[in-house]
Amino acid sequence: MTERSITERAEFLSRRRARMLPFLAVIFLSQQATYFSTPDRSPHSADHVKIAAWLVLSAVLVAAMATKGFWLQPKEIRDLIDDENTRANRLDAMRWGFLFTMAAGVAVYFLTMFEPISAREAVHVTTSAGIVSALVRWGVLEKRAHRDG
Amino acid sequence: MAERLANRLKDRRSELGLTQAELAERVGVTRKTVNTVENGVFTPSATLAIKLAAALELSIEQLFWIER
Repeated sequence: MTERSITERAEFLSRRRARMLPFLAVIFLSQQATYFSTPDRSPHSADHVKIAAWLVLSAVLVAAMATKGFWLQPKEIRDLIDDENTRANRLDAMRWGFLFTMAAGVAVYFLTMFEPISAREAVHVTTSAGIVSALVRWGVLEKRAHRDG
Repeated sequence: MAERLANRLKDRRSELGLTQAELAERVGVTRKTVNTVENGVFTPSATLAIKLAAALELSIEQLFWIER
């Protein structure tokens, strides 16, 4: 692959990621809505397919944020996409994710004083809050970075 | 008082007739990174600042300065 095509490909993928991040956050959120709209969420009635889908999607999204992502692309493209600005944006998004996870944890802890919440639900809420906030933040930063000024 | 890293990246790039993409290619980053440095949205590392200065045939002090 020529130097030119590597940079063009990296630019294309980077722009596509910036567009996709908000959509991923919406898809992830809608998945939570279907989970929490189920009237009976006791451990025995829990839909294991839904839980497995959430676990897999969560793991993939966290892995994409924690690594360079684009696992199927050649190394030189992955290295170029994850350049200095992207790394800074990614780390800032993960910082937001951490803060929102902590805030959700505090909120859930407070809520248990009034209504019992299962451990599974608590983990679900806190993890989801962290992932969604990180995705949204990353998307905003990437879109801003791509905007010509 | 707030300080920010100002630069004359855009002017110098235009003088040399380079696009953001061409400059990005010279220093091994994406166009997005050049764009954010140029607009003052992103403060580059010392490594990237040195690479940018070299690519634009200027010293770092000529390319970047602190604005108060």
